[in-house]
Amino acid sequence: MEPWTPDWTKSPHSMGTTIMALQYDGGVILGADSRTSTGAYVANRASDKITCLTDYVYLCRSGSAADSQIISDYVRYFLNQHTIQLGRPATVKTAATLVRELSYQNKSFLEAGLIVGGWDKYDGGSIYAIPLGGTALKLPFATGGSGSSYLYGFLDQAWKEGMSKEEAEALVVKAVSLAMARDSGSGGVVRTVVINEQGVTRNFYAGDKLPLWHEEIPRQNSLLETFTEAEPMRT
Amino acid sequence: MSIFEYNGSAVVAMVGKNCFAIACDRRLGVQLQTVATDFQRVFKIHDKLYIGLSGLITDVQTLHQRLQFRHKLYHLREERNMKPATFASLVSSILYEKRFGPYLCQPVIAGLDEDAKPFICAMDSLGAKELAKDFVVGGTASESLYGACESMYKPDMEPEELFEVIAQALLSSVDRDCLSGWGGIVYVVSPDQVIVRTLKGRMD
Amino acid sequence: MVRVEEPAKGGFSFDLCRRNAMLEKQGVHAPKCLKTGTTIVGLIYKDGVILGADTRATEGSIVADKNCEKIHKLAANIYCCGAGTAADTENVTDMVSSQLELHRYATGRNSRVVTALTMLKSHLFRYQGYVSAALVLGGYDVTGPHLHAVYPHGSTDTLPFATMGSGSLAAMAMFESRYKEDMTKEEGMALVAAAICSGIFNDLGSGSNVDLCIITKDGVEFLRNFQQPNPRTYVSKRGYSFAKGHTAILSTKVIPLREQVTIEEGDGMAE
Repeated sequence: MEPWTPDWTKSPHSMGTTIMALQYDGGVILGADSRTSTGAYVANRASDKITCLTDYVYLCRSGSAADSQIISDYVRYFLNQHTIQLGRPATVKTAATLVRELSYQNKSFLEAGLIVGGWDKYDGGSIYAIPLGGTALKLPFATGGSGSSYLYGFLDQAWKEGMSKEEAEALVVKAVSLAMARDSGSGGVVRTVVINEQGVTRNFYAGDKLPLWHEEIPRQNSLLETFTEAEPMRT
Repeated sequence: MSIFEYNGSAVVAMVGKNCFAIACDRRLGVQLQTVATDFQRVFKIHDKLYIGLSGLITDVQTLHQRLQFRHKLYHLREERNMKPATFASLVSSILYEKRFGPYLCQPVIAGLDEDAKPFICAMDSLGAKELAKDFVVGGTASESLYGACESMYKPDMEPEELFEVIAQALLSSVDRDCLSGWGGIVYVVSPDQVIVRTLKGRMD
Repeated sequence: MVRVEEPAKGGFSFDLCRRNAMLEKQGVHAPKCLKTGTTIVGLIYKDGVILGADTRATEGSIVADKNCEKIHKLAANIYCCGAGTAADTENVTDMVSSQLELHRYATGRNSRVVTALTMLKSHLFRYQGYVSAALVLGGYDVTGPHLHAVYPHGSTDTLPFATMGSGSLAAMAMFESRYKEDMTKEEGMALVAAAICSGIFNDLGSGSNVDLCIITKDGVEFLRNFQQPNPRTYVSKRGYSFAKGHTAILSTKVIPLREQVTIEEGDGMAE
């Protein structure tokens, strides 16, 4: 390899990520940051890591971008077929089982940590975490990606059963922004997806509008602007 | 050591006015030991299409045989010669087929198409085509050939002048490369004739 | 049994891998292959997509081609800039463009950008990054303008502006500071050219000229060598001249070429 070719041109695209999902009274909320990096370079600062599987089931992706995209593409395709054959929407459990199956059967080739969340008329809002080895865990709340290590304790303390939608969404935004503040692999904006009986709502929280945590500084203008805005120099 | 330095080679092709020239050096070595001094890396595919193959000689010969075979097959089926651009695509696809275990050689293709328009093209060992309007080079002397051709080449040369330029470029380049030399052989191809000249060069 | 060689049916052949690995083990390295240490970019503007590329191809530290084409045509309405190993970008785009053409014949509809995207990503994913093509894919189809970045491992991004190749940081700096939504064609062209120039001048792997490709609902404008910021200044126009007979010759052979017989008219053979 040529001496000047930076290492990120070859290294795979991975999502040093914060993803999470939690149940509330009536549905689920999925949340994610928006940073995709290759090594130290932020390849995409506004990526969408919450992908649609069916009308009522969404998927949070972390790990290798290529691997998690291919899994979600296959599962979406299978679920579409399944929905047509059955003539009724696929359940969250079905979606999670498909994701688990692909993750498990190809575990030696894949590097993807996924969270399936959605709503169906049998189980209501439900969440399945499918981490690296291809196991599926049904949980009331789940986190994933490199930012998740900063969140376990916080969510153990902050999550309560039977939260309202507003409380739950505020918690998701707070948690993801906390992780983004501490984890170098996470950043950008916060995206959330709210799923309940009524349908799906996507929300977006701009990076410079998020709460500031310990020792964070507010967004600065560029250095050039700072200079021009400063007092003119006098002699 | 790069595999290119195992046998050593210099190949160059240039475009003139309604003609082209292709040339190579005459040394065949095994690393620093010279094995043959009357060797050739430029091969005729048909009257107006030549290919120069630099690199590992076993692969040069294998690839040449495959290409000649494929051209003969084409000739039997189509009853006509291949166009240079078609032939370049053929070479490219044969090389790319071995993307993950390539033939260790880099081809230089030169030809005249039906309306006497010259075509030249170089490739890497994976078959990436490099189409040029002026000159293409290959082999261990390629770095010095680039420099020599870059300054000596001019557009629209007649066959005789083209010969002088390509010969001078080749000879001066192989003088700065230990692994190629012992004179050269030049083919100057115009619509009505081919001039083949062997060049006298240093023998050290 | 004699094995007669047949023209390849497609797919890769791995029969020289073991020999080459053996050579490598003995310390004999494979030659460097053609890379496009590249700056390629694309952006979405008011009426469509603009793609841009530099024109330098490198082989190690040698500039192998000073004016190569890195914007490949996939369909009449879809173009693709390629960075990485030249052979891979060339072959991957050629393959997809032929698949798209067959797909158009089969469906009777114009190609869509997502179709090209899916074909590219599934091929690249299958080869797990070993087919090293990094692409910026742009086009205008029935659903509007689209721009995607495709990475060698098969992941894709959908963005309003994208950069790729070794000069992508330099180019991204221009986009991040100057991009705005709904730019005019002139603004867009100027920004893409500025981004490519930033790659040309700040990245050693990129150089020479700027190629542009503007794709709108109404068609494609391919501006080859839109800007030539690095003209040749050395060597006079006359060049060197050598007197005839200057070079020492050992032998000369002149072979006259016969006219090829062409059959203008005639009936096929019959029994």
